[in-house]
Amino acid sequence: MSKLSLRGTASSGKLNSWVEPSFGGLTESSGLSDFSQKKGQRSGEGKGKGQLFGSDTSSKRPKKRRADSGASDFRSLCIEVSPDDQDEPWVDKHRPCSQAELAVHKKKIEEVENWIRTHLDSKTIHKGGTILLLTGPSGCGKTATVRVLAKELDYQIQEWTNPSIVSEFRTDDSSFKDTFDPNSRFNSFQGTSQTGAFQEFLLRANKYNCLQMSGDSLATDRKIILVEDFPNQFYRKPTCLHDILRRFVRTGRCPLVFIVSDSLSGDRGSRLLFPKEVQEELKISNVSFNPIAPTSTMKVLSRIVAIEAGKSGGTISAPDKAALELLCSGSSGDIRSAINSLQFSSLTDHSLEKSLWAAKKGKSTAASRKAGPKPKAKSRSSRSVDTLEGSQAIGGKDASLFLFRALGKILYCKRESFEASEVPRLPGHLSEHQRDKLLVDPEVVVERSHMSGEFFTLYLQQNYVDFFSDVDDVARASDYLSDADCLTAEWSSRSTMLGYGSSVATRGLIHANSARAKADCQSSVGFKPLHKPHWLLVNKKYRENCQAAQSLFVSFCLTPVGLQTELVPYLAKLNNPMRNPAQIAFLQDVGHLPLRKFPGRLKLEALGDKDGVLLHEDSEGEDPASEALHPKETTDPDSGTGAEPTPSCSQEAGAELPMSQPQPTTTEALLEEEDLLIEEYDSD
Amino acid sequence: MSLWVDKYRPTSLAKLDYHKEQANKLKNLVQCGDFPHLLVYGPSGAGKKTRIMCLLRELYGAGVEKLRIEHQSITAPSKKKIEINTVASNYHLEVNPSDAGNSDRVVIQELIKTMAQSQQIQSSTQREFKVVLLTEVDRLTKDAQHALRRTMEKYMSTCRLILCCNSMSKVISPIRSRCLAVRVPLPSVEEVCSVLTGICKKEGLLLPAELARQIAERSGRNLRKALLMCEACRVQQYPFSADQEIPETDWEVYLRETANAIVSQQSPQRLLEVRARLYELLTHCIPPEVIMRGLVTELLGNCDGHLKGEVVQMAAHYEHRLQMGSKAIYHLEAFVAKFMAIYKKFMEDGLDNLMF
Repeated sequence: MSKLSLRGTASSGKLNSWVEPSFGGLTESSGLSDFSQKKGQRSGEGKGKGQLFGSDTSSKRPKKRRADSGASDFRSLCIEVSPDDQDEPWVDKHRPCSQAELAVHKKKIEEVENWIRTHLDSKTIHKGGTILLLTGPSGCGKTATVRVLAKELDYQIQEWTNPSIVSEFRTDDSSFKDTFDPNSRFNSFQGTSQTGAFQEFLLRANKYNCLQMSGDSLATDRKIILVEDFPNQFYRKPTCLHDILRRFVRTGRCPLVFIVSDSLSGDRGSRLLFPKEVQEELKISNVSFNPIAPTSTMKVLSRIVAIEAGKSGGTISAPDKAALELLCSGSSGDIRSAINSLQFSSLTDHSLEKSLWAAKKGKSTAASRKAGPKPKAKSRSSRSVDTLEGSQAIGGKDASLFLFRALGKILYCKRESFEASEVPRLPGHLSEHQRDKLLVDPEVVVERSHMSGEFFTLYLQQNYVDFFSDVDDVARASDYLSDADCLTAEWSSRSTMLGYGSSVATRGLIHANSARAKADCQSSVGFKPLHKPHWLLVNKKYRENCQAAQSLFVSFCLTPVGLQTELVPYLAKLNNPMRNPAQIAFLQDVGHLPLRKFPGRLKLEALGDKDGVLLHEDSEGEDPASEALHPKETTDPDSGTGAEPTPSCSQEAGAELPMSQPQPTTTEALLEEEDLLIEEYDSD
Repeated sequence: MSLWVDKYRPTSLAKLDYHKEQANKLKNLVQCGDFPHLLVYGPSGAGKKTRIMCLLRELYGAGVEKLRIEHQSITAPSKKKIEINTVASNYHLEVNPSDAGNSDRVVIQELIKTMAQSQQIQSSTQREFKVVLLTEVDRLTKDAQHALRRTMEKYMSTCRLILCCNSMSKVISPIRSRCLAVRVPLPSVEEVCSVLTGICKKEGLLLPAELARQIAERSGRNLRKALLMCEACRVQQYPFSADQEIPETDWEVYLRETANAIVSQQSPQRLLEVRARLYELLTHCIPPEVIMRGLVTELLGNCDGHLKGEVVQMAAHYEHRLQMGSKAIYHLEAFVAKFMAIYKKFMEDGLDNLMF
């Protein structure tokens, strides 16, 4: 029984609150019956995340809960359950109580604080509702920040919790019958009711203040509404949410805070629920949190260790510094999971831990791959190493990287100087290839970028030149890129070679940059903006233009090369009046090149800090579906292409056209007409 | 008003301006009523297509000039729809199968099959075979070429193939051996000149011999290009003067500027600028191979004799990769970067030698 439940908890890091009683029970070596009973009670909680902070021991919390929603019943239950400190998970026990204790970066806290301060002001309240959106990976302290600020700025938080039982929100009994009516479709019924409930909640929270309980001495009428859970319906139909928010912005009186966790693999909740247009329309301020820096995580962990070790003299084995570092790196910026794994790893009963371990050994290996500064030389059989790896695997997350960071890791290629004795130097004639030890593992970086190697290489190709200072290095690097492309050329072996291709590209780029070969001379580069690859757009335009050329000038019966390099450019010079408007437009656009103008750098789309993969690779380029995948580009092809020259050139040239010729219009519109016009091969 | 290139295109074998002996032979070949599959090859602008059309006219009479452009869609066995443009008369069908990309095999087989299966109605007055003209055979996939070999034999009774390509080297030898190969070489400078003068006379223009010669040389004896140039000259300035500037296409000028930019400075920043220019060329429909060749030609003109061999070898290396790989920019850029590195080293060495 215990094993089963434990396996469940370890596999899903979120249900942290379940972890606690089981471990606590084990340390105390209490009877299983006791433990299972506790667990039974706990299972009522259901939602792990909000609850972590919900089991607040301060007197204020439960009352507020009761005031706002019916879900508070669980609340009281769960608070009664945690009678003594020993049982409480450390995440809750050591919740930050002040800004100083928050591991979040100072600037971010300040940002949030400023926003809340300005919008809590009584003067601005009546202008309408204002919305703040907090995003960031899970466990980076979004909720904690809001709560700490609530304490410090002295306001109340009214939180929305998804109702788990629909009927609770129904006042009349008839709706209850509806639930069991076979004719009504249950899904839609529930969906609307959740949405409706959400709307009602917003309305009420907006209108009425919290009930004042007798024990509640500080009666502030300042409050914010917090939404972390979204009714499922909103994920299906985000417009639903947008409508509600529009209404709220018009009528609302107090600030509304949304907290959305990002996942790195593309489908970001924040992007779905709050697209850019809506954010702009409703003036939603967005503060995006970063994963917690390892140093801050380290600080928090050592603080907790110090407190716990002092308190429980003996029952807890304080992990040493190396172990803590391992935990930090394993958590990849998720402080909640770091603390949880700290608690787990500091349990004394090793034999038990080990037996648990054996049960799920195969499960979480991916996480342990992260190469921390681990002393590999030690014998593997040594017990300490074993436990280290164990805790690593338990606490570790399957880390992933934002594209921006992944590119940075390759391009900046951090190195570490190593002692001369450790690694044999290369002989004299190869000394130019001597490099210091790399701190990144290129294959892992590519894997974590959530992108195909080929596509990642494309990003690298767009950006690598800025990081080089010597032409020789650039030549070598570009040669490696060329190699990488050739590796994946063969269609039949492509799937196998993709990995090798990206390996060659990344490692080649890193190696070729001889200016960054030594760890001590690496600081010179400074920040360089990264850009999205241009090639896809260029390639697409090339193909489109070639096709257009062929369909427009099919009557000339020329081979594509002859057409594109001879006929079209010369036709552009000839002002031959027999052509139709579509052809003229095309000639103006493609036949002319911006001469005697040295184009500066192309206007590039900068790659944002958190941008995911916007473009998708089009497989072989031939499919028209690729157009659908680049909605951004098809709508305004000018934004990325040949800087300003292309569009401006076509306009200038259009003005120069002799009056005898019809003015060029859009090529697309006339394409159908085109087919009808050309019926004869030779007019003479 | 059509272009001079089309307006004055010879329509019969007897009217051809150059390679008259070959024209005669072709005429004799056709006169006996039948002919084998033909493989016509030669550089672009030499008049292959003109010659083929003359041949067909000789064969079928004026009927071949009644052309219609058809848009065919063929469904591949994999249920993929392939759209392709064909130009056809009652007697022949012209198609560029490489338009279909990877599925060119299906296109060839389908088209030839439909063509060959429909017999001529009046075989007494007409030839008993039709002609399928395939252009750019050298760009066919190996797959398609092998399919072609089989198809050629199968429908020999009702269908003749005329294959047209720039270079025979990419055509597989079974096909080469099944065809009568006809090479159409470029016209000499004098021949180009005479064609130009003749056409100008028909237009009622006076073309100075000097200018004609210059155009012929600048066009690289590519007659199509020469005629287009000549017409562009006419637009630019008339009456002609002997030393007038011959207009070049924009992309050629642009490419030369790019080459100059490479030679004048070798730095990563310059490489980025060059990359931007390469992109610009690509979006203007200039194929990467042409860019590569143009760059090499321009660069060779700019660099020292010692370097030339190395540069050409490099170019060959990267051109090969360009053909193999899928993303042209990698290879173009690698070539440029490599050239920059070599050139820079060469210049520095030269500087050192000067100083000591």
